[in-house]
Amino acid sequence: MSARRGVGLSAFQNRSSLSTSYATHGASLRSTHLSSLQTQLSVFQSLLHNFALQHADTIKSNPSFRAEFARMCNAIGVDPLAGSNVKGKGAGKGAIGSLWAKVLGGDVNDFYFELAVRVVEVCRGSRGGNGGLLGVEECKEQVKKGRGIGGGMDVSDDDILRAVKSLNPLGSGFSIVTVGSKQMIRSIPKELNTDQSRVLEAIQVLGYVTASMLEDNLGWEHARAETVIEDLLADSLVWVDLQAPEKEYWSPTSMNDFED
Amino acid sequence: MAPAQPRTAESFTYPQSYSFPPFFTLQPNLQTRLSQLRKWSRLIQRYCRHRHVFKLSLVAALDTPLFKNAELRKRLSVNDALQVVDWMTRDEGGRRAEWIDGGVEAKGGTTWVYWKRPEEWAEVIVGWVEDTGQKNTVLTLYELMNGEMTVGQGIVPREKRSKSNAHGMLDFHGMDAELFHRSLAVLVKRGKAQVFGSEDQQGVKFF
Repeated sequence: MSARRGVGLSAFQNRSSLSTSYATHGASLRSTHLSSLQTQLSVFQSLLHNFALQHADTIKSNPSFRAEFARMCNAIGVDPLAGSNVKGKGAGKGAIGSLWAKVLGGDVNDFYFELAVRVVEVCRGSRGGNGGLLGVEECKEQVKKGRGIGGGMDVSDDDILRAVKSLNPLGSGFSIVTVGSKQMIRSIPKELNTDQSRVLEAIQVLGYVTASMLEDNLGWEHARAETVIEDLLADSLVWVDLQAPEKEYWSPTSMNDFED
Repeated sequence: MAPAQPRTAESFTYPQSYSFPPFFTLQPNLQTRLSQLRKWSRLIQRYCRHRHVFKLSLVAALDTPLFKNAELRKRLSVNDALQVVDWMTRDEGGRRAEWIDGGVEAKGGTTWVYWKRPEEWAEVIVGWVEDTGQKNTVLTLYELMNGEMTVGQGIVPREKRSKSNAHGMLDFHGMDAELFHRSLAVLVKRGKAQVFGSEDQQGVKFF
């Protein structure tokens, strides 16, 4: 009893020894947890490798399967894209990555790099008419048609996003931006300001806009509407139709015939 | 000029830009305009090819579906159409058109539309001559342009097709006489053909 009350001098010692033993116990618990988690994870990853190996063909040919697979990889910290060139950088992800590439023979990587090249082609081909802003959806359609070498590729939106991401290390200025509800590939590095984005959003919803539509719907002054439109025109992001009662501005993203 | 009947049963498919209202207004932004001019040039060439039309009178063509989308109620204006064709006649436009009689200034602005340029036609003709073994034979211009042997689009077996005739179609059957003469002139200049005879009875020999 007296010991528990801890009123004497020895209580100090007791207390400190108690906290040390708690700490060591906690540490040992943590490390068991950690090691069991690591085992689980490595088991899971090796299973994933086997799975990838078994289904390599399906992964390459079936876009929705590929998307699910990539999602699964992401969830456990395996990036099919990263690591193919990182050879054993630390025992962690790097090693997994290079193993990953080894297991798949670099196929998954190659797939995305190849796709990225197509995406770049499509973006460049349409740049003049759309100011370098192309819907992911439209890009996908174009890649599927595949005018280029090797015919079309069956891909999903997710694949396109990944392919664009894979271009990042090149500093190529390709990026994904969200305008309204649409994801778009920006192939000319330039930021849209808030007003410009809002106008493009409005075009998405309404089909086209006029200066007075912007004034009515967004409560902008005439000068503001005009300025934003002028900017968008100057960047080839909208086309003007002069054969309407009031100048109409349309987004060329809905028009996708590409020059061969 | 009333456009000829389409030769093929399949209907012409317009590009997506044809359903895009601003396509019918030349864009003020130069970069956008360049891309637009390319699209128009391609459309005009494809349209003429489909209808086997070699010359276009702009004023007449403005009321045809080529320049007028009735559904959208949009039409390329005379000025814009002139600019498009004028661009096509220049180097940057690939010289895919050529004004006839005074060009832009002349009323009605008639123009050649070169979905194949005379040099390209020359290649097609040479290809056909080689494929059908007509070298060193004298042929009349009439039979070449209108005769039965060039009818039926002379589907040439794939392996025998020359590069310039990759689709295997002998589009020169029923071709505009003047353009045909010009194409032959290209071959004469290269020493690959000889044209002789008088107006109605002209013959040609290929080497």
